[in-house]
Amino acid sequence: MGAVMWIEVLSRHGEVAARERIEAPEARIGRAFDNDVVIDDPHVAAHHVRIFRADDGELVAEDLGSVNGLYPEHGASRVQRLPLAAGPGMRIGRTILRVHDASHSVAPEKPLTPPRAHATWAAGLGLAVIALLFGIEWMGTTTERSTNVMVLPLLGFATFIVLWSGLWALLSRLFFGQARFALQLRIALTACLAFLLWDQMGEWLSYGLAWPQLDDDATYGVWALVAVACYGHLVSIGPRHMRIAMGVIVALLAAGAAMQYAGKAEARRVAGEPATLGELKPPQFRLRPAVTVDRFLADTGTAKRAVDEARKREPTLGLFSETDGSD
Amino acid sequence: MIRRILALAATLAAMPFAVAQPMPEQPGGPLSSAAERVYDLAKPRILQVRTLLQAAGRQTTLGSGFVVSADGYAITNYHVVSSFALDPKTYRLEYLAPDGSKGGLALLAIDVAHDLAVVKIDRSGLPFFEFAPRALDGTLPKGERMYAMGNPLDLGFTIVEGTNNGLVDKSYDERIHFSGAINPGMSGGPVTDSDGRIVGVNVAKRLDGEQVGFLVPARFAAALLERARRGPVLVLDKAREEVGRQLDAWQSGFYEALARAGFRDASFGPYRGMESAAPWMTCWAFTNADQVPKPRAAINTTRCSSVTGLFVSDRILTGRVDVTYSYHKSIDLNAFQFAHEVSQQAGAASFDRGRRLTEQECTDDFLEGPPAGRPLLRARWCMRAYREFEGLYDVTVLALTQDRDREALLAQLVMQGVSHANAVALGKRFLESIRWAR
Repeated sequence: MGAVMWIEVLSRHGEVAARERIEAPEARIGRAFDNDVVIDDPHVAAHHVRIFRADDGELVAEDLGSVNGLYPEHGASRVQRLPLAAGPGMRIGRTILRVHDASHSVAPEKPLTPPRAHATWAAGLGLAVIALLFGIEWMGTTTERSTNVMVLPLLGFATFIVLWSGLWALLSRLFFGQARFALQLRIALTACLAFLLWDQMGEWLSYGLAWPQLDDDATYGVWALVAVACYGHLVSIGPRHMRIAMGVIVALLAAGAAMQYAGKAEARRVAGEPATLGELKPPQFRLRPAVTVDRFLADTGTAKRAVDEARKREPTLGLFSETDGSD
Repeated sequence: MIRRILALAATLAAMPFAVAQPMPEQPGGPLSSAAERVYDLAKPRILQVRTLLQAAGRQTTLGSGFVVSADGYAITNYHVVSSFALDPKTYRLEYLAPDGSKGGLALLAIDVAHDLAVVKIDRSGLPFFEFAPRALDGTLPKGERMYAMGNPLDLGFTIVEGTNNGLVDKSYDERIHFSGAINPGMSGGPVTDSDGRIVGVNVAKRLDGEQVGFLVPARFAAALLERARRGPVLVLDKAREEVGRQLDAWQSGFYEALARAGFRDASFGPYRGMESAAPWMTCWAFTNADQVPKPRAAINTTRCSSVTGLFVSDRILTGRVDVTYSYHKSIDLNAFQFAHEVSQQAGAASFDRGRRLTEQECTDDFLEGPPAGRPLLRARWCMRAYREFEGLYDVTVLALTQDRDREALLAQLVMQGVSHANAVALGKRFLESIRWAR
């Protein structure tokens, strides 16, 4: 019974391309046709490696005197003998092989996603997003009411979401093997819903707390949301280099956030805060307790100190502003 | 709005003069003879005041001036010499007389509030202008003929006949309304009566009118001359501090006068606000009722403005107070839409004040006054400091009533070149004046 072993030949993308059941105690691998497993790799010797059982019953790979040698799957140093108990993979030429015992344990069975579950979710989320968008749009329409004004942003938004999900579905098709568009759509719409709620929270808190700056700063949270969404998409695809892919995405988003921050900081440094009340909401949504006029006027001392401090600093040329010289 | 005549660079194209002023018959010979006589008298006494770029030795701005004493004291506008006063290392002053003689000018005294300066020519035994006693008393009759002189647009020394129309109504600063053509380059030039005695100094004109000129009354020039003779001479390195001191003195006088004039209630829908009783606060009303397509919220705005403008430098015009009330009432907007509509209006027209002022800092809150009858307010206070003048700020106070969700009063107070204490005092009055009309 213990005599059975499986030899897997992996494709360039790391998928199993061929799997051989070996019932003999020893298997030979190479390019020649008298081997148990034949490999079409010009960098592999005619008789490259043999797999046998050591005295303790563990599988061992042994180089049969090839030019290019035998390597562990992730190792860089050539070996003569490779015990496969530590890791089932080995590299010969440009081919990766894995050898498994019949007793090799496999991952537990994954429950099947109910049919159209992602699609159902995506539809529900889509409706919620559309309803929310419509609501926001409707609350912000103070000019002439027109269908176009209401529908155009929705259409633009829908187009963006479909393109975004389509892109991830394409990547998924390439790396995972299945497009799973509904799943990508579900992830994208979840992120959208979170974005809309976050954005609204910024606006409402900004009004409720009489803190216009808050709404402005909330935009940084959007970058984090995009990062989480990308993580979700990546997990669904399950690429081999998950960490590298996520690292690249986080780096790109961090660069975006940093650029936005630098732009805002520069505008603030030159012009300061605008004399506007920010986005207002009906008075019922006030959260902060009111203070007396005297208290408010006393608090202006803080602004006074800040500008008094600022006037001591030599003004420097702003990134986006022109010199204020005499002409 | 009164725009000052800046002593413009000579590159500025001359404006076309279309119509000669119609003149009434006057007994005692043709009119031109009087002007001829005045100009003959004035010729050795008037000057062109040139600000030169030290390094290039070329003129950057031009104005006019006139000699008022045998030992070389002369009067011009502060704005003609402001570049030099604020930056004596970069600029220098020079005069050019009608006879072609030229030389350096020393700056002895400035009066920013009245836009005057005393300069001195290093010569003595000069013919000079005398002040008209009637001008010093302020008893010049309306309609009297006056003669304004100077060098407009660097075209050459010129005499302009015009009419005295007395002091300008609705002006905090005393200004004589002179109906005659005053043009860039004539700033600081003399205005005399038909005997050739000084009644005023050219200072400004309205850009939106024709032949609407303004003069500084002669008595301020006489007073500054007196101060220059008696008082300590202006130390050039300290001129900036002196300008700052005068601006500070001006604003404290102005806010005192504003408080003294008092405030009365003004109604805006169901709300009340304050309105200055000072005659020099000019109010205008605006509405969006005639907007096409029909507005979904009615907005009626009243803006009262002190028509004050203090020229400090090319880049700083200050000394203005604006109080604006906008009463917003929803026509068919719901509470959320109405709030959004008001947010779009609740922004002070942001004057680009450049880097001569610091960046703006703001503070926000909801306000509730103890006395009944006052609605809850959402308020924001924003201020910027003048980099060159300590203790002076531009302040904007915004307040929005928060007691109803489909109508609101948006109030805005803008104060330029004000001390923090005065801004707080007027700000308090402004915020506390927002009440319900009963």
